[in-house]
Amino acid sequence: MRRYAWPTVGLIGRIFAILLLTVVIEFGASTLLYERASQFAVRGDEARRLAEHLVIARALVTQGAAADRPTIAVGLTTDRYAVGWSPDFRPLPRIAPTLDEMRLQVLAWEPGLAASDLRLRLASPGRNARVVGTMSLGDGSWLQFSTLHPVDGLNLSSERIALALVPALALLALGGLLLGQTLRPMRRLAEAADEFGTGLYHAPVEESGPSEIRRVITAFNRMQGRIDRLMGDQTQALAAVGHDLRTPLARLRLRADAIDSDALRDSITEEIGEMDAMIASLLAYLGGDADPETPRRVDIADMAASLADAAADAGRDVTYDGPDHLELDIRASSIRRAIGNLVDNAIQYGSAVVVRVEEEADSITIAVEDDGPGVPDDALERVTEPFVRLDPSRPRDTPGFGLGLAIVRRAARNEGGRLVLTNRASGGFRAAIVLPRG
Amino acid sequence: MSSPVILLVEDDPALRTLTTRALQENGYLVRPAGNAPEMWAGMEAGPVDLVLLDIMLPGTSGIELCRQIRQTNSVPIIFISAKGSETDRVIGLELGADDYLAKPFGTRELIARVRAVLRRGALEAMPGTREEGELSFDCWTVSLPRRELTSATGGVIELTGAEFDLLVSLLDHPQRVIARDRLVELSRTRLPDSSDRSVDVLISRLRRKLSTAGQPAPIITVRGVGYMLNVPVTRR
Repeated sequence: MRRYAWPTVGLIGRIFAILLLTVVIEFGASTLLYERASQFAVRGDEARRLAEHLVIARALVTQGAAADRPTIAVGLTTDRYAVGWSPDFRPLPRIAPTLDEMRLQVLAWEPGLAASDLRLRLASPGRNARVVGTMSLGDGSWLQFSTLHPVDGLNLSSERIALALVPALALLALGGLLLGQTLRPMRRLAEAADEFGTGLYHAPVEESGPSEIRRVITAFNRMQGRIDRLMGDQTQALAAVGHDLRTPLARLRLRADAIDSDALRDSITEEIGEMDAMIASLLAYLGGDADPETPRRVDIADMAASLADAAADAGRDVTYDGPDHLELDIRASSIRRAIGNLVDNAIQYGSAVVVRVEEEADSITIAVEDDGPGVPDDALERVTEPFVRLDPSRPRDTPGFGLGLAIVRRAARNEGGRLVLTNRASGGFRAAIVLPRG
Repeated sequence: MSSPVILLVEDDPALRTLTTRALQENGYLVRPAGNAPEMWAGMEAGPVDLVLLDIMLPGTSGIELCRQIRQTNSVPIIFISAKGSETDRVIGLELGADDYLAKPFGTRELIARVRAVLRRGALEAMPGTREEGELSFDCWTVSLPRRELTSATGGVIELTGAEFDLLVSLLDHPQRVIARDRLVELSRTRLPDSSDRSVDVLISRLRRKLSTAGQPAPIITVRGVGYMLNVPVTRR
């Protein structure tokens, strides 16, 4: 089961690779930046002044005795340059970029300095960029110097800071993008898990991404398959029981006809009818998932009007309000049952019922309105759950299993529509099936 | 006239006995059968006027039996099924069954359907009334085997059994007035849901269903006599 289409790098591997990539790019970018620092040039007079100062300092310090040299060096410190002397080599700050271009500028003014192993670096690149340097005096001692003021042209101005930030931001974006890409299958999996159990057909999640996520997706798909199979088996068993119950019911019904007492016969017949209606709603609910019915073009306005007619024929106050004709591609018998359920509910709770068909630009609404007590607002969502009855104190007041609205909701969803339940401002309840148009 | 012979195919013994008794008490001769071989034996035992056939039989299904019977025989068939679903009903009727009876059923409904189908069978024995083909009128099409009315744009208009029979009666006599009494008489062949609907109500509903944008339905009232379909009908 652990064979995949191609070998994949694990989640940890991927994150590691992403980090490696960012580090490499950061490294490259910094190198480039420092490379560029060596190209920094200063204004001509700046280089010349430094060159002259260094020549003078070298001459004076070299002439002095070893003991006097620190004092001489301090004496050479001006408001522009700090100068120091040491008997041995003091390394310059290591991470500071070298200033090759500036060194060439200085040497151009005083070629004699070339013999002194002049080294220049850019210290604290940023707002106060200073040049630090060192120079051999030829007898093993070294002269150190640094500029006291920021050197023009060497400042890492906002432009340079931005330049340094660009790779960092780009890296951030790149890292985020790659991580997002890596974790996308995870998101798909989460969506599929959310979707599962809503009554619609769910295809297996595509197996892609890092091996860990693939394994999770494979496991999820297998679990989904097992649950579907289990539910399918149970549904079939329940449906078979439902069908089988109708044969003894038919026997009972025929035997009831032999009862002499009219009242007794009628009430038994009525009970049998109720049991049959319960079986019918159970079968409709169970059959919903594997509905083999294919959409066909029907006149939904005529369907709604006919259902209102049928209820009116049974002596109820049900009227139709809407166009005479409105054609739509739907699963006709499941929508007919859904509208019928809404009409039955409305008759149950109200006395005057209106079935409406309303056309909007991109949807069609089939609404059933009654003048009954409505449903408490906090229970509006709950009543569409299967087997839910609102009033626990009167559990046998209404016929059926409490599947009516669950069947309606599923029928609406199967058409890509929805069931909208509202309490009307003028009192009463409104249940509307909203179907997308064409 | 001798009593009609009904071949009852039902696998549940108790229900078979009860149904047999109900039919016998209403004057029918019943030949009960519990499975396919017994049914074929019953067919050979003598002429049969009607077959009552349970869809869910052990072994060969009722649908398959219906297909086999129809290959050689045009005896009226009523399906009995515990599946109340639309698809089963349509399949049954398309296979050539004449009616459909859902379990559980009462004696009254059983007898009404048997009587209606036998009566229709007698009418159809006359030439020219066989329920086949399509009828077109105005911008509508009626499919007789599917018992469906279709609009010009292909949408199906649902008709109750009574509405459909009434429409077919009008279509059978286009541009001729049909007496109201005659329509009432014709509507009696379909029971029990139609008997209590007055022809006038059915006509008004048919008119609504057959209306098209701005145009009234092509059914006119001839005061004191009856109704007339005032457009020609093409039969295919």
